[in-house]
Amino acid sequence: MTGKTEKTPLRHILTLAVSVSALGGFFILNCAVKAPEILESERRAAAEFPKLTAGTLLSGEFMRGFEDFAADSFAFRDAFRTIKAFSVFEIFRQTDKSGLYRDDLVGAGKFAAPTETDMRRTARKLKSVADSLGGLNVYVSVIPDKSAFAGRKYPGFDMKLAESIIAEELPDARYIDLVPELGADSFYKTDLHWDQSKIAGVADKIAAAAGGAPPPDGDAVPPLFQTRPAGAFCGVYRGQLALPMPPDTMIYMTPSPGTVTRYLDDKTLSWEEGEMYDLEAFAGRDPYDIFLRGARALIAIENPDAGEGARELYLFRDSFASSLAPLLIPYYSKITLIDLRYIDFRVLPSLVEFSPGADALFLYSSQILGSPDILNAG
Amino acid sequence: MLFSSPEFLYYFLPITIALYFIVPLARGRGESPGARARDPRRRNLVLLAASLVFYGWGEPRYLLLMAAQVLSGWFFGLFIDRWRGKGLSKAALIASLAVGLGGLGFFKYTDFFIANVNALFGAAIPLTRIALPIGISFYTFQILSYDIDLYRGKTELQRSLPAFAAYVTLFPQLIAGPIVRYADVARSLGEREHSVSRFALGARRFTFGLGKKVLIANVLGELADICRASGEKSLLMAWLYIVSYAFHIYFDFSGYSDMAIGLGRIFGFEFMENFNYPYTSKSVTEFWRRWHISLSSWFRDYVYIPLGGNRAGPARHIFNILVVWFLTGFWHGAGWTFIAWGGYFAALLLIEKFFLGRVLEKLPSFVSHIYLALFVLIGWTLFDAPELSTAISRAGLMFGAGGGVLAGGESLYYLRSCAVPLALALVGSTPLPSKAAAALGRRAGRLMTALEPLAVAALLTLITAYLVDGSFNPFIYFRF
Repeated sequence: MTGKTEKTPLRHILTLAVSVSALGGFFILNCAVKAPEILESERRAAAEFPKLTAGTLLSGEFMRGFEDFAADSFAFRDAFRTIKAFSVFEIFRQTDKSGLYRDDLVGAGKFAAPTETDMRRTARKLKSVADSLGGLNVYVSVIPDKSAFAGRKYPGFDMKLAESIIAEELPDARYIDLVPELGADSFYKTDLHWDQSKIAGVADKIAAAAGGAPPPDGDAVPPLFQTRPAGAFCGVYRGQLALPMPPDTMIYMTPSPGTVTRYLDDKTLSWEEGEMYDLEAFAGRDPYDIFLRGARALIAIENPDAGEGARELYLFRDSFASSLAPLLIPYYSKITLIDLRYIDFRVLPSLVEFSPGADALFLYSSQILGSPDILNAG
Repeated sequence: MLFSSPEFLYYFLPITIALYFIVPLARGRGESPGARARDPRRRNLVLLAASLVFYGWGEPRYLLLMAAQVLSGWFFGLFIDRWRGKGLSKAALIASLAVGLGGLGFFKYTDFFIANVNALFGAAIPLTRIALPIGISFYTFQILSYDIDLYRGKTELQRSLPAFAAYVTLFPQLIAGPIVRYADVARSLGEREHSVSRFALGARRFTFGLGKKVLIANVLGELADICRASGEKSLLMAWLYIVSYAFHIYFDFSGYSDMAIGLGRIFGFEFMENFNYPYTSKSVTEFWRRWHISLSSWFRDYVYIPLGGNRAGPARHIFNILVVWFLTGFWHGAGWTFIAWGGYFAALLLIEKFFLGRVLEKLPSFVSHIYLALFVLIGWTLFDAPELSTAISRAGLMFGAGGGVLAGGESLYYLRSCAVPLALALVGSTPLPSKAAAALGRRAGRLMTALEPLAVAALLTLITAYLVDGSFNPFIYFRF
């Protein structure tokens, strides 16, 4: 560099030093620090350094891959994400960060507004499934987004609109309104899901409305559930929000010891017996997988202690039902959970025998209602 | 590659700066000893290589097209100079215009013409669906400015192909301007000064521009997207949309220009200012003297004045204005909305020129400001709409066509949530912050010694945080 440095103002020297240190320093740091394989706080695999070939260069694949890699492997990434969240909420005083919010009552959440078109398409898909379930009593319910119970009115999921669409598109199904059974405390503060230990009322309401038989009662009968603590639970929104938040405490409820849980093995398509709660999964990337081993196409829970007249329930569901089904099992002889995101409805008859006179409940959250394309039905 | 990305800021830029300043200045052929000491030919090569990587990063396919345009512009320049004073010189200029504008026309406007021929004659000519090469509108105009100025004798021949290629492809201004004319940087290509102060001022300007883009333009762009997609038809939502879009496009584009000017300064160049607080104007005429100055002045010098400007009678004057504004609109995009946008401003400029201008001068300032804001905002509805009917509908909502609903839950939520970014944008689009900084500098110079580097450090930290976490990051002017 040339020039008369003796007349250079000190602030220019300092500005240059700051700029060069920042650009050069982070370049060296980013090159020197080993890139992470997993982004723990965001619960996803970090982008890897892309393959460098003539083909990937000419197609632009290398560049796109490197952009993802550069962002994911950036030194002090989590600290920078926290700085951004702090800036959004405290400096710019915005009440959400691209839809992610923190609320005094419900904790962290994310609002999204499913379009009427998408919700209607989902409802029509469910209708086509319901129509094929001849001889079953069909019920439907929508799980409200926890933002409905927040201290601030957030835009997003319109429960009334969803209910009216369900009523129009599934006129023969009986609607079960779960809103009165839920409140701000029913959900984890750091996650989108409801807290199993706070939704007994939901299970009772569904059982009462959808053919559940009262479980045997009396002094000799042990309590319906045993409450067990799993530990501290950091839900998905805590990492996405990137702000310090105390973790939730996860409690799980175990029903009668005689209850049998079977899972459909995705590869062999055979039914395997297993534990209702997967404690190893709780220590994994998604602790909510503790409930019925997470994402599964088909799960059956059998209750040998069911009362007289107890029926079968076919539960078409998303992840919320994983924690609800164990609370419902005392009211039914068997519950079959069917996740149409992971199995095509057309192959169901070869794997599930639908008992005439049984009950079928379509139970979906706002996220699935707004995503018709992920359901393999209709 | 985007300026507002970790790969640019923390990989490309430090490597480029390091290479650039490591390479020593050559012993040049300048007449003075100083010129010889400042001959940056080797550094031009570094800039050329870096610019090719920068452009090829996003558009590897179109590197060849840009190289062909650069070669064409340079060769025709040689012919223009060699045959100066002869008819062949003019032929070389016409050939240069044909190649430059032909390339621009083919890649940018072919599908527009096909679609209109299909609509007009019921034909079914298939669209080419050619992707628009990034920055083609900018670098084409730069090449043309060189050949035209050379023909006019306003600049000298550049014999060095690398130096000419470095001028056209110079990454700070390659893909979104300002449109730098060869004549303005010709001297710097052969001799330029680097200093700590220039570097510091350039880094400061770049950082502030990046802050405008990342901290304000992106936030308000996201808000504009939300408003655009909303089903709420209230008056508040319509105004929230157009105001956020207006600030988004200003902070996006002027932020980019700041970054370009700052980077240019780091590497020893001085680019022209592209914005001068346009939203503080009191008339549309003044607005266009302050908005995208490099484009307005390009059309003035290469189209309007050669057509006769205002010296050939009122009818010809009106015609000249209409031509310039048709071209200005069409330059921004191959669509009727852009042509209508150009026509809209042509009409306003003519009305001001022949009637309203004198009235505006007599009105209180706040009335003129309101007038300007209103008509510029209506103009943005045209600019941002995919079709004319959408623009009319959005403009209608601004004036109560949504059934008289004042506000809805969604618009009220977003007004509250984005109140601070909107307020910052409002203040930031005026000279107030720079005047305040200047006043502080005068009264407390020592404080500024600490404050300036601290501000740069704080901004860089905040910007990095947004870039590492963010996903919403488009530059509007990349598509032009």
